[in-house]
Amino acid sequence: MVVLAGMGLSVEAGLLGPLGEATGQLWATLGIFAIGALLLTFGLIFGRPRLGLLFSKPRWMLSGGVLGPVYVGALTVATPHIGVGLTMVGILFGQVGASLAIDHWGLLGSAKRQVDRYRVAALLAILAALWLIH
Amino acid sequence: MVLLMLLLVVFGGAVLCSQSAINGRLGAEVGVLESAWLTFVLGTMISFLLAFYLEPHAALNLFTVPRWQVTGAFFGVVYMLVIVFAMPRIGTAAATVAVISGQLLMSVLIDHFGWLDNAVIPLDPSRLCAIALLAIALALIYKSNVARETEGAEAVAG
Repeated sequence: MVVLAGMGLSVEAGLLGPLGEATGQLWATLGIFAIGALLLTFGLIFGRPRLGLLFSKPRWMLSGGVLGPVYVGALTVATPHIGVGLTMVGILFGQVGASLAIDHWGLLGSAKRQVDRYRVAALLAILAALWLIH
Repeated sequence: MVLLMLLLVVFGGAVLCSQSAINGRLGAEVGVLESAWLTFVLGTMISFLLAFYLEPHAALNLFTVPRWQVTGAFFGVVYMLVIVFAMPRIGTAAATVAVISGQLLMSVLIDHFGWLDNAVIPLDPSRLCAIALLAIALALIYKSNVARETEGAEAVAG
């Protein structure tokens, strides 16, 4: 099931690229978020929402929502130029790299950890893969 | 151009990772559905403002393109629900690796066959080597996550 869900993410990127070409990249980004927001609002109505709690948190914890469009926008702009495969590997590289940085400096309220040798090695392998595909 | 685009997606990946770090904490305190909802609502507001004021007119809009092109969000939401359901059952380490494998497999297939109106980028030997390298990277990420999970368990036990 989880593998299928991951495949879905690539399908999403594959749909976004051509959509962005047709309607403009920002509109494509909006399409993703508007429909996602509608679906989740449905979910909340039938769940037991505790939205009040959201706004009692420090504001920076709510900033995740501002970062979402950056990711979706990057997908939309890049896939027509470099293909879905290279886009996904690039995203992976950014994720692993950032997770190392977050751990190393204890950013965003996470605990500081030693640099993880496995992850550094993984980052190098991904970099080599990027170069090969490219 | 290709290099620029590559930098852009690497940046996008880094942003995604910071986002999940922030949302992970928020989700733990407030609820997963609530934090995802906030992400999508804020995303809608921001991208609407940007698109409305900055985007030049295109021949087609969201309401006139073929409907199937606008179904990407369903995959995103299904992904989120599956992760929320599966993470506690199979552990972060296995879930992360399963997601990335699915992602890579599908993206190679989409490129190779040019599905969903994408350009055809055939699977050649250098791509196959790259996939082998990524499999190694995944194994390493799995090891690192397993190490983390046991470390977390010890912290809880201690």
